[in-house]
Amino acid sequence: MFDFSIVAKWFDNLLRVTCGLGDFWVILIECVLVGLAILLAYALLAIVLIFMERKVCAYFQCRIGPVRVGWWGTLQVLADVLKMLVKEIFVVDKADKLLYYLAPFLVIVASVGTFSFLPWNKGAEILDFNVGIFLVTAISSIGVVGIFIAGWASNNKYSVLSAMRGAVQMISYELSLGLCIISAVILTGTMQISGIVEAQTGPWQWLIFQGHIPAVLAFIVFCVAGNAEANRGPFDLAEAESELTAGYHTEYSGMGFGFYYLAEYLNLFVVSGLAATVFLGGWAPINIGIEGFDTVMNYIPGILWFLGKTFFVVFLLMWIRWTFPRLRVDQILNLEWKFLMPLSLIILVLMTICVAFNWTFTIV
Amino acid sequence: MRRLFLRNDFSGYPLRKDFNMDPERNMYSTEDDIEIDTTTEWYLTDSGDLKSVSHSLFTDDDFVVNIGPQHPSTHGVLRLQTILDGETVKHIYPHLGYIHRGIEKLCENFTYPQTLALTDRMNYLSAMMHRHALVGVIEEGMGIELSDRIMYIRTIMDELQRIDNHLLYTACCAQDLGALTAFLYGMRDREHVLNVMEETTGGRLIQNYYRIGGLQADIDPNFVSNVKQLCKYLRPMVQEYLDVFGDNVITHKRFEGIGTMNEADCINYGVTGPAGRASGWKNDVRKYHPYAVYDKVDFEEITLTHGDSMDRYYCHIQEIYQSLNIIEQLIDNIPTGEFYLKQKPIIKVPEGQWYFSVEGASGEFGVYLDSRGDKSAYRMKFRPMGLTLVGAMDKMLRGQKIADLVTTGAALDFVIPDIDR
Amino acid sequence: MENKLSYFGEVREALKTLSIGLKTTIKEFFTSKSTEQYPENRKTTLHIAKRHRGRLVFKRDENENYKCVACLMCEKACPNGTIRIMHEMITDPETGKKKRQLIDYEYDLGDCMFCELCVNACNFDAIEFTNDFENAVFDRSRLILHLDKEVYRGGSLPEVIEGGANWEIGTFNTGTKTK
Repeated sequence: MFDFSIVAKWFDNLLRVTCGLGDFWVILIECVLVGLAILLAYALLAIVLIFMERKVCAYFQCRIGPVRVGWWGTLQVLADVLKMLVKEIFVVDKADKLLYYLAPFLVIVASVGTFSFLPWNKGAEILDFNVGIFLVTAISSIGVVGIFIAGWASNNKYSVLSAMRGAVQMISYELSLGLCIISAVILTGTMQISGIVEAQTGPWQWLIFQGHIPAVLAFIVFCVAGNAEANRGPFDLAEAESELTAGYHTEYSGMGFGFYYLAEYLNLFVVSGLAATVFLGGWAPINIGIEGFDTVMNYIPGILWFLGKTFFVVFLLMWIRWTFPRLRVDQILNLEWKFLMPLSLIILVLMTICVAFNWTFTIV
Repeated sequence: MRRLFLRNDFSGYPLRKDFNMDPERNMYSTEDDIEIDTTTEWYLTDSGDLKSVSHSLFTDDDFVVNIGPQHPSTHGVLRLQTILDGETVKHIYPHLGYIHRGIEKLCENFTYPQTLALTDRMNYLSAMMHRHALVGVIEEGMGIELSDRIMYIRTIMDELQRIDNHLLYTACCAQDLGALTAFLYGMRDREHVLNVMEETTGGRLIQNYYRIGGLQADIDPNFVSNVKQLCKYLRPMVQEYLDVFGDNVITHKRFEGIGTMNEADCINYGVTGPAGRASGWKNDVRKYHPYAVYDKVDFEEITLTHGDSMDRYYCHIQEIYQSLNIIEQLIDNIPTGEFYLKQKPIIKVPEGQWYFSVEGASGEFGVYLDSRGDKSAYRMKFRPMGLTLVGAMDKMLRGQKIADLVTTGAALDFVIPDIDR
Repeated sequence: MENKLSYFGEVREALKTLSIGLKTTIKEFFTSKSTEQYPENRKTTLHIAKRHRGRLVFKRDENENYKCVACLMCEKACPNGTIRIMHEMITDPETGKKKRQLIDYEYDLGDCMFCELCVNACNFDAIEFTNDFENAVFDRSRLILHLDKEVYRGGSLPEVIEGGANWEIGTFNTGTKTK
């Protein structure tokens, strides 16, 4: 498997040795380049995701989706982005100006922050702390603050209701999300994202195979909770357009709204990416212990594996979103506290037992 | 006491015959309509004096949210002034009249055929039934005996229109609950119903098919085969709505026990149609005051017991099947005969009062006609289907969540132009 | 649901209904779609009901003569004054009888509500509705049509005046090519 760290090291050497730059400049240049790469990937993925959502949703609904702009509608999203960029940004009268402007940035910061943790390839994890996965959940919580502030600062009763709903929901679902991640951490024995993926290389080593029953359950719970965390699907009651028009971003126009839109889709990607990383092995190719097959699989670059798995999970979440009706706020909390929370605790215990007695599924 | 349809600053009572209709005196005001937060109650003292007392609609501590006039789930321009306690509804004051067109007043100045043009624009999802009631009352007044063919076709068309309404209803229920996919399935199949009707009537929303003394045109040559094919196509599709939405556990959780109204209250509030039948009130006009050929067909009146939104939904679903049954019984047996009985160029109804009601898609729709022998009505009164439903919303929703307001509104099945007239 | 299910029974039931929903949508994902591609299909697979009321036209015989005698019945029947007829009385030089002569038949498409009352009122079978629906213009004044001055030959889409392409209940003409 191609190791991206070779490229990274070569570039580092290029700057340090060949160009003879000092530590400060090397790190500065590298940081800027990586930052640019993240933002570029972020924007591109958002466009791909929005286009995918529109097409997938259309196909579920017996429509064909956008077909006019570009071949098969491919340029539709670009046109939308352009429209959003040139739109006037207006401020609601009596809105809390500072918070009103701040809120979209908080949301986008949380989204970009979590986005940077995704392992794209072997050696291509951008942020790779030893408490990586833990930090992801921490950063993703900033998004809640953004939504809450947006609702409050908009000076709109619908937005306030929506903000309360959003906050309650996201704080609750973070628990199951965290617990599912912890059960994965128990199995892999590390919180570092590269470590988690590393632990899933090898035949039948994806966590969902390795941890069999508890891992499958954890994957499902993770998807449900992640969906709620991304404010989507049956859990989109924060923006519930039939009740609260557009919820917390009712009063935003132009790029303010654009940021929420971006963040929503990228949160979907991040949640799917995390699910793919933690349970489906990230960039790790599928290996079944037969050498020929494994070699072929290993030739496929890790980034393709990662994107493939992530988009698979994205499709699952879209499928769910475009099938089910929305829940009510008390039912969402019921689902979390009466069903998902106990289940994730049971998963945690099960997983611990499995690991302690070495009942995990491994071919070595 | 406040004005139901007109602005608060409107003076005079337009339906009174001494109302000055001079356009100069009835210019539309561009001033703000100052809304008063109080309501006046009138009562007689023991000594016979008329006294009034003013009640405040809400206190300073109440969180008042205006659902509408522009709101995605009020299905039109209805404004529900909702008083909330957190997410819980404390009180609802419906404000109507945002698309009040004064149809009843217009009818007094139009000739009888001209009034026909207006009924389709009330509840456009029951356009056929509305027109049926209006031509029904005029024909009753004039004493026209219709041919069997006319009555058969009218019955089939009414039922097609009912299916159209119920498909849109089930679709909109899904949409208000956020299941956009189920919504589009309903809309897709409604398209087929509309296609069938359009081939014959030439209209999709505004049908303009019935006229005094018969029908606008004969059914088109393919009508019978198209309808048969439609019935065959629709039956499995209704199950699909149930699969994707109606039987879904989330839908059940959202609908069950929401907006409940028991039979006695339904009668008190005049909640007719599927909404009332869901609580067990047998109120189907087709059964109890049969018109057209409803007395000759065999169909079941759907009544359920709970009176909540779920039963209202199921009531609609089962009525689709019943309508299909009715159509299938009639479609092969349309008798030959006249589709239109020639009337005099100027239609006059003899002096008298008549009332004719039909079973609209979401309740009883009645037309009261007071004729003084002229070529236009002295008074034409419509009993809208949705007004009583909206009136009952406050009673249904007290103590429930704001999200339930949306679901109850969806499950009640009202259409605003019908309420506002 | 009358019977109270246990905690796990409820979960099982819930999962069952949810999976039925998912099964239905994935089935629809692969079935044929229902979007009709309007501007592309207007000359190929478009179907417009023959009786669809698009606009009012004069019926004309093979010599392009209309039958209107300016009796004003349609003008009186119209609920919102869409039709305005100008006429004059002329004396036939041979018989010496006075006869109405149509000068201008003005029909405001923008005001029309397509109720077909004018057609019903006409005793001479002079007017009818066609299914020509492409009536959008940029200027409202162009919606005022003079039916006696124009000779209607099917508007922008003469192909669909008889209904256009075939269509079947339960299907949509999604393609843009003629079958």
